[in-house]
Amino acid sequence: MKPMKEEKRKVYYIFSPFLRIFHWIMVVAIVTLFITGLFITKPPVVLGIEPTYTSFFTNWVRNIHFLAAFTFCAAFILRIYGFIINKGDRLFPRVWEGHFYRETLDVALHYMLLKPTHAPFLRNPLARASYAGLYVLVLIEILTGFAMFFAKNPNSIGSSLFLWVNVVLCDEMVTHWVHHIVAWLIMVFAIGHVYMVARADIMEAEGEASSMFSGVKFLEHTPLDACELGKESEGK
Amino acid sequence: MRKEKRGGKDVEKRESMWDVYLRRGMSRRSFVKGCVALTSLMGLSTDMLPKVVEAAESKPLPVVIWIHGHECTGCDESFIRSGAPLASDLILTQIALEYDHLLAAACGEPFEAHLEKTIETYKGKYILAVEGAACTKDSGVYCMSGGHTFTETLRRAAANAAAVIAYGTCAVSGGIQAANPNPTGSSGIAQFVGKTPLVNVPGCPPIPEVMTGVVMHVALFGTIPPVDGSGQPKQFYGNRIHDTCYRRPFFDAGMFAESYDDAGSKAGWCLYKLGCRGPETYNSCGNLRWYQGMSYPIQSGAPCIGCSNAHFWDDGAMSERLPKFAYPIGDVDKIGAAIAGVTAVGVAAHAAASVVQRNKHRAEKAKENGEQVTK
Repeated sequence: MKPMKEEKRKVYYIFSPFLRIFHWIMVVAIVTLFITGLFITKPPVVLGIEPTYTSFFTNWVRNIHFLAAFTFCAAFILRIYGFIINKGDRLFPRVWEGHFYRETLDVALHYMLLKPTHAPFLRNPLARASYAGLYVLVLIEILTGFAMFFAKNPNSIGSSLFLWVNVVLCDEMVTHWVHHIVAWLIMVFAIGHVYMVARADIMEAEGEASSMFSGVKFLEHTPLDACELGKESEGK
Repeated sequence: MRKEKRGGKDVEKRESMWDVYLRRGMSRRSFVKGCVALTSLMGLSTDMLPKVVEAAESKPLPVVIWIHGHECTGCDESFIRSGAPLASDLILTQIALEYDHLLAAACGEPFEAHLEKTIETYKGKYILAVEGAACTKDSGVYCMSGGHTFTETLRRAAANAAAVIAYGTCAVSGGIQAANPNPTGSSGIAQFVGKTPLVNVPGCPPIPEVMTGVVMHVALFGTIPPVDGSGQPKQFYGNRIHDTCYRRPFFDAGMFAESYDDAGSKAGWCLYKLGCRGPETYNSCGNLRWYQGMSYPIQSGAPCIGCSNAHFWDDGAMSERLPKFAYPIGDVDKIGAAIAGVTAVGVAAHAAASVVQRNKHRAEKAKENGEQVTK
């Protein structure tokens, strides 16, 4: 029988529903976009099927891709609203404050296995920096994606908003490459992200994974970034 | 050339298209028919016919100077194959082509002198058609004719022109001689044109009817046709080949030719997987087609190579989809999968090392505290 330990922990309410809903929509959308994107680049072989029985496969895949993309962008608006009303949703790393670099170094040394532990955080500064990186990748995907999408009619309003991307990248062909390569980079991020979350959940047992469902984390020591949340988050 | 034929006539009293028809004893009916053909080939609606007739009656034949830079003269070859109107009709009755290397009967010093005379006489009134890239390296010595560098002739002719038409991908963005490593420093002509209105007509070569259509638009209306952000006439370059392609239903249905000799290729299915650049290319091949609607590359079973795109020579192997990084490393998706795989392995190794480190740390702590860590 495993021994039980009684200890005092504080409950922090961090993530609002806006961030949590957006996060899961983002997960579904990115997986959908990635898989359909691969199909669009290399449509599967249907040679051998009689034309009578084919059913607009590529068209469906493209439409699902576009649907996922628009859902993703729409969900971003929820995310921005959450960012405005809830301090816990403000994940952008505080790069303008000196302690961010100290803390990031501390966490990085731990991840490089040079230090056995790192200081307690509600929202790990290195992770927050990686989310900023992810948002840059996502922004590139949105810009290049819409640049290709709206180019079907170069005289439309959408293309007047996004066609400059093709000009900046010199060539619409380059837009396709960038869109494709950045999609793979997002996958690499996803692997790292899922691993780090699982690792934190197992090693620190502070509710890292469940916080994206419940919005709360349980910490034994006072985290260094608790001040960012304000008083109301504590003990909810 | 035409002025010599007309003998001692005052150059200022230039003939209109209708005057030429009258002089040649051609009927009003054939004149109006010619105008109808012109209207449709300029991409205008039939409502515009009265304006076209009016312009053809009153406007003197536009003087055209056609100069050549770094290129293969393929655009001229395309131009003389225009079917509606026939290139011969256009040259002989609809424009006054004063200078053209390929089509001129004259040559040598008198011919070069005629260029100077034309620029002087029709200052600010003539249309300058430019074919070929401007060679910029070493003061442009790699492209000279008549003792002048092409860039100098271009600059002088463009400064005095009413409008400049850049014919072909070379004139628009440098073309094949501007392909990596571009030893002659070739570029599009835009930087030499100055403030003169410029219309870009890319393609390698452009479709003949597009070439005649653009020059007639400038000739009859005195302005360049409506252009998009990259200076290309909207009516000819406003659609992707992919969106106007008659094979698009096969794309939507997921029916693709996998190689040039398979059943799909024979059945005329989509050439997307053979590297067709239709999805990135803006041109009229899909709707106008070539040589009086006879065919265009995709219809003939060859994927589009995107010849109206600025850097199509450098976009990688033309028979591959997204090939830029394919050579010599490998497929983009394979590289991506490999990187993802390496990341996964790295993550697993890190996880194992983390567990080892944690256990070690706990053991140390336990030693210090002298108590059992139970968590």
